[in-house]
Amino acid sequence: MVMRKFIWMFCVLVTHNFLFSQQDKLVFHPTFFNQTLKPEVYYKLNAKDSIQITSFKFYVSQLELLNGRETVWKEQSSFHLIDAFDEKTIVLSVPSNITFTKIKFQIGIDSLTNVSGAMGGDLDPTKGMYWTWQSGYINFKLEGNSNLCKTRHNEFQFHLGGYQQPFNCLQTVFVQVKSKANVTLNMDVAKLLLYIQLSELNHIMSPSKEAVELSGKITETFSVSYE
Amino acid sequence: MNKKWGIAIIMCLALCAFNIATEHIFEVPKNWPKPTYNSNKNPLTKEKVELGRELFYDPILSKNNLISCASCHSPYTAFTHVDHDLSHGIDDRIGTRNSPALMNLAWHHLYMWDGAINHLDMQALAPISHPDEMGEKIESVVLKLQHSKKYSKLFLKAYGDTVVTGEHTLKAISQFMLTLISANSKYDSVMRKQSHFTEQESKGYQLFKQHCASCHTEPLFTHTGFENNGLPIDSTLNDIGRMRITKNPQDSLKFKVPTLRNIEFSFPYMHDGRFKKISDVLKHYTSGIVHSKTLAKSLQQPILLSSNDKVDLTTFLLTLTDKVFLFNPKHSFPKK
Repeated sequence: MVMRKFIWMFCVLVTHNFLFSQQDKLVFHPTFFNQTLKPEVYYKLNAKDSIQITSFKFYVSQLELLNGRETVWKEQSSFHLIDAFDEKTIVLSVPSNITFTKIKFQIGIDSLTNVSGAMGGDLDPTKGMYWTWQSGYINFKLEGNSNLCKTRHNEFQFHLGGYQQPFNCLQTVFVQVKSKANVTLNMDVAKLLLYIQLSELNHIMSPSKEAVELSGKITETFSVSYE
Repeated sequence: MNKKWGIAIIMCLALCAFNIATEHIFEVPKNWPKPTYNSNKNPLTKEKVELGRELFYDPILSKNNLISCASCHSPYTAFTHVDHDLSHGIDDRIGTRNSPALMNLAWHHLYMWDGAINHLDMQALAPISHPDEMGEKIESVVLKLQHSKKYSKLFLKAYGDTVVTGEHTLKAISQFMLTLISANSKYDSVMRKQSHFTEQESKGYQLFKQHCASCHTEPLFTHTGFENNGLPIDSTLNDIGRMRITKNPQDSLKFKVPTLRNIEFSFPYMHDGRFKKISDVLKHYTSGIVHSKTLAKSLQQPILLSSNDKVDLTTFLLTLTDKVFLFNPKHSFPKK
């Protein structure tokens, strides 16, 4: 009798685990206008320029799913370093058995984490996303070359970060989703570069007014498609 | 029955021994405030402190494997760099500031003269990466350590894992720095009622409390904040101090208030090491203050000290020398 009860419990647990371990994919897909962004390929913003991206990395943190206004799932210790050119890092998972209408996450690292000392995994300072001369994570890194930049090797470098006011660069992104299938979040780098005016601004390397302004435009680069 | 009691007593003793062993690694001195550093997130162990000590004294942290933390933070001079106003690093390159003395770091919340660093764990990254200091990258340091048999063993002992990470490297260095506690000067023994000030030291202590203690607050002898102490600007450096970090004009010319503990050994003084002697410093505070918008409140009114007062005050400052700290074998170069 006891044995039967035990087996029954075991079956329930296995089914439960199976149901809840089903995962859907959430894919970050970098684009240049409508094309998939590839490293070291030249793209055109306008007739006169040509632009290539050599590095595109950013932190996605505090991933949440919402149904209407209600949070229905929240990822624990949610910190992901996304390298747009490394396919292993661009896919995140969300549980598939939950109904949701909105995805919420942050681009960057919150201020509490920024003042909490050395951390491991994607937050390890060896990942190249931590400033050394002044404490703080780089939330978003975009580097490349363009004939518009009158710099050495025509380089541009945008390292956006800063956790203290008035230079807090953390961005919260809300994305409406319609279907429950695997969601792809397209990120159009061209939109960001059109905003920048590369001929005038070609680098940001510290928490500043410029970093806050440009960070505010990151949310506008997102659009959704479904697999 | 007796056997049971015996086992219980042995277990109690073992537990006590364990408690004593862990307490001795990092002990908050009596009547001191609670440390700012949260050691629950990085619990101190003998093995981690030892790893941190090896790293602190190892030039492997620099690009050319020649400069260690101790190059600019020597244990016998209160972990600072004497004889140089501006400290020098890799390839004899000269920096823009005087290396700060290292002690009682668990009680600070911001590090560096301008507070650029927000946590002790992250402090070591700055000198490791600075082109004029160690000129290295933490990524390369981790690779070098990973390829070293010595460090594989030490990381295994400390973390139960031979894989070296940036997090573990930095936290081990923190652990060693946390153990650098100076609380055994003559001043401390007087406070603990184990000895007495001489009459001159006592007069000096009164003068200290009257003129210096608002910024160099006991028992750390710093309030750990930032102040403009009225130094004339050195036009070869044009260092704006804290404002470099906050970009706030109200922080212009403010620098971190340094501790006065072990001041006898931590010369030269000020962020740019401009004063070689304590008497130069006292001369500045009595007759050299430059008034500007951000000048510290406590320096708005002139400080008047007779030459006798200056001698008394200096005599008191020398009671802050802590030989137990300066010559502690646990802090010095690890023996092979």
